[in-house]
Order: sequence, then C-alpha cells, then structure tokens
Amino acid sequence: MEHIQHTPARVAKAPTRLLDGLQRWLPKLVVAPTFVLVGIGIYAFMIWTGVLSFTSSSFLPVYDFVGFDQYAKLMDNDRWLTASVNLGIFGGLFILCCLVIGVVLAIFLDQKIRQEGALRTIYLYPMALSMIVTGTVWKWILNPSLGLEKLMHDWGWSSFSFDWLVNSDMAIYTIVIAAVWQASGFVMALFLAGLRGVDSAIIRAARVDGASLPRIYWSIILPSLRPVFFSAVMVLAHIAIKSFDLVMAMTAGGPGYSTDLPAVFMYTHSFTRGQMGLGSASAMLMLGAILALLVPYLYSELRGKRHD
Amino acid sequence: MTERSHSGLRPSRIAIHAVLILAALVYLIPLFIMLITSFKTPMDIRTGNLMALPSEWTTLGWSKAWSEACTGVQCDGIRGYFWNSFKMTVPAVLISTLLGAFNGYVLSKWKFRGSDLFFGMLLFGCFVPFQVVLLPMAATLGKLGLANTTSGLVLVHVVYGVAFTTLFFRNYYVAIPDALVKAARLDGAGFFTIFFRILLPMSTPIFMVSLIWQFTQIWNDFLFGVVFASGDSQPITVALNNLVNTSTGVKEYNVDMAAAMIAALPTLVVYIVAGKYFIRGLTAGSIKG
Amino acid sequence: MSQLELRGIRKTYPGIAEETLKGIDIDIASGEFLILVGPSGCGKSTLLNTIAGLESITDGAIVLDGQDISTMEPKDRDIAMVFQSYALYPTMTVRENIAFGLKIRGLPKADIDREVARVADLLQISHLLDKKPSQLSGGQQQRVAMGRALARRPRIYLFDEPLSNLDAKLRVEMRTEIKKLHQRLGTTIVYVTHDQIEAMTLADRIAVLKDGELQQLGTPKEVYDTPANLFVAGFMGSPAMSFVPVTVARGERGPEAEVRGEDGRSLTLPLPDYLADRVGQRVILGIRPEHITQPQAQKQDSRLVATGAFTIEVTEPTGPDVIALIHLNDTPVHCRIDPEHPVTWGESAELMFDMKKVVFFDPETEQRIAPH
Ligand SMILES: Nc1ncnc2c1ncn2[C@@H]1O[C@H](COP(=O)(O)OP(=O)(O)O)[C@@H](O)[C@H]1O
Ligand SMILES: [Mg+2]
Repeated sequence: MEHIQHTPARVAKAPTRLLDGLQRWLPKLVVAPTFVLVGIGIYAFMIWTGVLSFTSSSFLPVYDFVGFDQYAKLMDNDRWLTASVNLGIFGGLFILCCLVIGVVLAIFLDQKIRQEGALRTIYLYPMALSMIVTGTVWKWILNPSLGLEKLMHDWGWSSFSFDWLVNSDMAIYTIVIAAVWQASGFVMALFLAGLRGVDSAIIRAARVDGASLPRIYWSIILPSLRPVFFSAVMVLAHIAIKSFDLVMAMTAGGPGYSTDLPAVFMYTHSFTRGQMGLGSASAMLMLGAILALLVPYLYSELRGKRHD
Repeated sequence: MTERSHSGLRPSRIAIHAVLILAALVYLIPLFIMLITSFKTPMDIRTGNLMALPSEWTTLGWSKAWSEACTGVQCDGIRGYFWNSFKMTVPAVLISTLLGAFNGYVLSKWKFRGSDLFFGMLLFGCFVPFQVVLLPMAATLGKLGLANTTSGLVLVHVVYGVAFTTLFFRNYYVAIPDALVKAARLDGAGFFTIFFRILLPMSTPIFMVSLIWQFTQIWNDFLFGVVFASGDSQPITVALNNLVNTSTGVKEYNVDMAAAMIAALPTLVVYIVAGKYFIRGLTAGSIKG
Repeated sequence: MSQLELRGIRKTYPGIAEETLKGIDIDIASGEFLILVGPSGCGKSTLLNTIAGLESITDGAIVLDGQDISTMEPKDRDIAMVFQSYALYPTMTVRENIAFGLKIRGLPKADIDREVARVADLLQISHLLDKKPSQLSGGQQQRVAMGRALARRPRIYLFDEPLSNLDAKLRVEMRTEIKKLHQRLGTTIVYVTHDQIEAMTLADRIAVLKDGELQQLGTPKEVYDTPANLFVAGFMGSPAMSFVPVTVARGERGPEAEVRGEDGRSLTLPLPDYLADRVGQRVILGIRPEHITQPQAQKQDSRLVATGAFTIEVTEPTGPDVIALIHLNDTPVHCRIDPEHPVTWGESAELMFDMKKVVFFDPETEQRIAPH
C-alpha cells in the first residue's frame, strides 16, 4: 500500500510576482516587434503614400494638398492608359492560359501516371526561378534575329518570321508567354492537390452510375474544385497586378512604352522621372484594384467557412 | 466489362502520356537553351541556332560573367553581387523565420484580446502590392542611414516577409492540440520552455517550408533590390538585369546565359534538394505573387 | 490528500455573450472521487480548466486546502490533469514524458528516475519507457498520460473524459483500473465524463451540469433514484427514464392515476401516498424500464404494484434483458423484460408496474415532487 505524500523537493510555492507578471506579458512582448514593423512598414506607409498622392511632390515630397489633381493627370496620361490596357490584356491572357494549362496537366497527371513525381518537378521548377532569369532566357529565345526565327530557318522553314519582342503591337504577348511558362506549373500543383482531396468514393459511385471519365471530371470533380479555382485566380491576378520584374528584364517597358504595366509605370515615375505624386497615385490605384479583387474573395471565403 | 474499358482506354492513355511529355519538354527547353548557350563561343552563337549543341564547349562565358562582365559602368562581373545576395538573404531569411515562428506560436497558443485582429492585419499585409510602400520606405531608409545598404535590404525583406512566415507557423501550430500546451503548463513549463521543449522539436517541416520559401522569395526579389540598393550593394537579380540590358559593345549571349544560370543556381539547387517543402510553401503561401 | 472547494464559480469567455459557468458551488472532500457529468458543451471542461488555472474565472473562488488559489498560475497550483487526447509530448519518449514535470521542477536526477520507475511499475508500462507515444496503442497512451499525472504526486487529479477515445472493451478495463488506483492511493479526483455508466461505477459523488448550472450533487444512488429534476432523471440511466403525463385521482386505497395504452385499454396505477395533496392536478410520472417487467409473483402483494396488458411495439434483446417499447398516454415507454418470458412485437403482453421507486415531477417547475 502506498500513500501519496507531498514530494519534499517541491519548489517554492510563490515565485516573485514580478516573474509571473512578466510571463503574462510575454506573448504580447514577443509579437510587439512584428506589430511595430508591420504597423509602420505596411499600414503607416500605405497612408503615407495615400497622402503623397494628393500632393504635387516631384523629386522630393512636398506636402501641399492638391486634391485629386494627380489622379486626374493619371487618367489623362497616355502612358498610364497603355499600362492599364496592357494589364487587362496581360492579366486576362495570363490567367486564362495558366488555368487551362494547369487544369489539363493536373487532370492528366491524376491518371496514375508512373513518372508523376518527375513530371511534377519539371512543371514546377520555373516557379523557383527569378523573373529576371526567366525574362533573360525568353528574351534570348525570342530574339528576332538569332532566336526562334533562326532556329526555324535552320530547320527549313525559311518564311518563318517572329519579331514580337520588338514589335510594339505584339511585345506584350511575349511577356504573357514567359509568365505562363513560369506560373502554369504552379496552377497545376494547386489543382493536383485539389484533385487529391476529392473523395474517390464519389468517382467510383459515378462510374457505377455509368458516367464516362471525362464526364465525371467535367460535371462532378471540376465543379467541386471551385474554391481552388478561385484561389488560383486570386493568386494569378495578384501576380499580374504586381508584375514588374519580367517586363523590366524582357522589354523594360518598350518598344516605346508599349509594354508598360502599372507596376512599371509606378517605378519609372516615382524613381527615375521624379514624379512622386503621380507615382503615388498610380500605386494607390493598384492597391484599389487588388482590394476590388480581395474583398469579394475574402467575403466568399469567410462565408464559406461559416457554412462548414 | 472491365476488359473492354481497359482496351478502350489504351489510345487515350497514349495521348495523355504524349501531352504530358510534350509539356515537360516545353518546360525544360528554356533551361536547356540557357545551359548550352552559356557554354558556346560568341562565334558559335552567331552561326548556330538555339537548339544546336556547342561545336566547341567553353566556360569562357561563365568566367567572364563571374568576374569580368560589365553591369552598367563597372566591369568586374557579377561575383560581388552574388555574395551581396547571400549577405542579404541569409540574415533576412533567418530573422523573418524566427520572428514568424514566435508570432505563430503566440497567435495560435497564447491568444490575447486583439490577437486575431493582429493576425488579420498581417494577412492583409500579404496582399498589399509593394508599390504602395516603396516611396515611404525609401524615405525612411534614407533617414535611418540604411539607404543603399545590405542591412537596409535585410530590414525590408524582414518587414515584408514576416507576414508570410507568421502565416506558415500560425497555421501549423493551430493544428497542434491546445491540450499539449495545457499539459505542459500544468507540468510547470513557461512560455519559452513550452516553445523550445515541446513545439520546436515538432516544427522541422514548417521550418523547412519557411526557410525555403523565404530563401527563394528574397533571393529572387528584384523590386526591392532595384529601388533600395544601388551600386555596390545591389543583389544579383539587379546585377543580372543590368548586365543583360547594358547596351554598350557587342552582345555576348553566352555571358548573359551564364550569368542567368549563376543567378538561378542557388534557388534551383534548393528546389531540387527540398522541392517537397518548396511546393508546400507555394500552396500554403500561395497568396503571395 | 487535499480538499477542494468551489465557491460560486462564474466564467464568461471574452467575446461570448452567454456565461459558460453560472455559479458552481461544490465541496470536494479529501480523497473523494467526484464525477462531473452533463451533455456536451455544458461547461465541464471549462470548469476543470478553471480549477487547473488554465482559464481564469470571472467570479467566485477556488479554495484548495484552505488556500484561495483562484489567481495562481497553473504551475503553482500543484494540480495534474489527464486529457481526453492524452496530450503526450510527441517528440519525447514515455520516460521523458513522465519525467518532464519533475525535471522542470528541478528534482535531482536520482529522484526523477525513482519516481518514473515507481509510476511505470504502478501502471505496468515499464517495458514501454523508451518508446515514443506514436508507437503505442491507445490504451498504452492512456496509461502514460495517467503516469505523467501520477509522477508529480499532485494534490488533486483532474481527468477530462480520459477514456472516451478508447474502444468499448478497453474502456471497461481502464475504468476498473482507475477505480483500483483511486482506492489504493486515496487521491482526490475530479473526473469529467459524458458516459453515465462511468459516472455511476466510479463516483463517490456525481455532479450533474447543464448549461453551466449545477443540477444535482449526490451519490450515484441518490442521483439515480431521486433525481432532482426532469433533466437529471432523463440524463442518468440507459435506456432513459420515460416520462408519462398523468392526472392524480383519489382511489379507494390512496392516490391513483389512469394510463391508456395504444389500443385504448387502460390501467389504473396506484400512486404513493405523498401525492394525496395533488389530487386533480397533472404530474409527470418518471418510470425507469426496470420498473415495468413481466409479472413477478413475489412482488405482487404490495399496494404499489399493478398489472395490465399492453401492446408491445418494438422489442430489443440486449442479452440479459429484452427492452420492449409500449405507449402510455401517447408517450413511448421502455420496459425491461426477462428473456425467459417471451414477448412478441405487435402482440399484447401482461406487464407489471412496480410503483415503489417511480418518481414524480411538477410539470411547471420540472422539479421532483419530494415525499413529505
Ligand atoms: N476557449 C473558449 N473560448 C470561447 N468559448 C469557449 C471556449 N472553450 C469552450 N467554450 C464554450 O464554452 C462552452 C462549454 O464548453 P466546454 O467546457 O468545452 O464543454 P464540455 O466540456 O462540457 O463539452 C461551449 O459552448 C463552448 O463553445
Ligand atoms: Mg469537454
């Protein structure tokens, strides 16, 4: 028979109040640096940029309130217009191509392919590269004299001509090609993960009901991947709006300013052309564009969560 | 029945394989071109074509890119910038991951009034286009005396990376039962003991995800590099862009490609060695562009 | 051994409008095995967490051996807890799991080793000491979780549904084990479960909770035989007590009430004398399955026994008994019948009502009508 006795070595019951008080504050203390960094680095700076966009700041910030002048100037600015239209073309095509390629590859890879691991690694490696590297390579491949065109000529297709990179009407599409090459594997990975999450019993049940495989994918599985679809669009749109590196590496906005995107516009005006106010206004509009996407997205996410 | 559907599937399976392999080639060819071009002589490049193997393999492009090529006005290669990138990436990755780990721990296991709001603020921070903070950040770095320094870049990458690392760790720790922390508290463990003795030993996967994700992001960054650094403090991406887009003299594509390879190698190696974690980071942190 | 007083414990979680604990008063004697039962979400875990100091209380006091520990840090309260999920540290071996609390408290290594050996021996887990939790079966993990609590020799043990993740057979085994341990070590235990069989078999006293309010505190027998209200009556016992609304009438030999079966036949049930002052009123008659059986000759001479024929609607053989369903006054009622006395569903059977242990509730207040 044993009887519980209090262990004599039990430590002192009342450690100093100070230590306990400190323990209670520790969690807040630990997140405080991040709170300060993010509070200033994101929120205060966002407001600061907002303020700048209402001033006539050029090379240096001046705090004279000029109302919506900069925004009005922006709307009248040909270059901004081109950048916005380009964003529409680039973003639309980029998202569409990535989705189609990503979904097709994911579905095909989901057919119990033996080399799945290796193929997945290959499709996804461009995501590990810097956009500058991607841009450099594609710039070389699409080089109007020594690149693809020369290859086709050497291979016997002598009438082939490909000058998109220096053609101000077509240059934006070369950016699309490089961007799709870089990001479509990522969409594939997202959808593949989604497909793996689909209950295989559903597929078996549908097969028992006599549905063909393509039909099962089209009318049962893909609709159930709507959330994946939305987050893919969200991410791709986000990449498109922020796209900067790729343009800088491939065309630097040229020929002329035919491949300008808002991010390039913002950089050029703020940092090389000394039009800080205009640059700020363009940055605020970019923020607005992302919010316009983000708010409905978060809304549907949160609403979806509540239904669970 | 089963027999028939199997034989019926065969042509379509061949088609599927064909598409998959073709796609793999499309993804691989640019890397292949980059690689073979980097080993060609300028002569070879002018006479051959993209897909032709070098008639004479040479590492001239690589050595020139590494130590002689012109990036703007200077002509001593990209090696200095390569090390700049390391000097910037390593501390920024470590600091942001460590901060993220502690934040994630607090935001999942030591919630306080307002901690959810704070997490929401961080999440939103992941979505903000960086253009909206560039000008104030440039001014602030100038005031702090950190403009055009590697330390300045480290700071910037920590500030804009910590939201992601926090997100990673918070989501990882949320899935660990609270009872574990409660049990440890009753065992007499305090805030740090619980973190270091209980949670940290189970955090290897998420540390890998965070380290690799941050490494790739920071190494590959161009925007912050081009805005906040100049001259000697520039990271490799900026140097590569300068090298490629310098319009003085004859274009040497073998040097361009070698430089691109050098800039790409660290992240490629990480991807090949620890791709599993990279993909997990990608899907988890997919809100970042 | 320690004695614990809960005085008017109130708890409101921040951001939640409703109070989760609405003033709980319980005195737990030294060496007592107290069981908290109640439906899911009634605040059992919350109460346990407040005792442990893992949650603060909004009002009231927790007094351990005469000392108010309400604001003390969990580590200073000297209380151990066993969790439903076991909460074993996954990266530590069993030995390290058990030793962790001792190590943190700065015990010398030799003492720790001795203590781990003692506990491992007590729980028969000595051969598992160098394994990781993930290599153990559910039952073994459960033992380790108890070992971790025992090693500290705390003043009070708290158990939060410790057996609910085990399969049925193991659960019964561990239940016996816990009972033996308690009898052997004489520790004070507060034990949460939603399994009323566990409550009945283990407890010295049972506290029934609902919506953060204490419904009844008493021995298992008190709670089972004289439930304080409709909720407790319905919660304890399986199959549950049936509730039949009846009107008290004056009979020749005392109060009585008429119940009607599904087929319209009726039976007059004798009621205990203390209902005499409720003649003409409606009351709710609470009758347990074991009070309606096949006719048993040896019981029938009491005034409080009646026999009548009712249509059996469903039969569920459980092995030792057959549970049969009938309707009385349009309310489903379970009966417990000896399998040696076959009844067939759809047919009428002769049933004996033993009214001695039947309880009655006021339909307005839902409280039990106490004999006086
Ligand atoms: N940390 C918490 N924050 C807010 N509400 C909680 C928390 N924990 C429990 N609750 C709420 O308190 C109530 C009681 O929960 P709990 O004590 O876990 O019940 P039980 O253990 O009896 O099932 C539930 O409604 C639950 O949702
Ligand atoms: Mg509970």
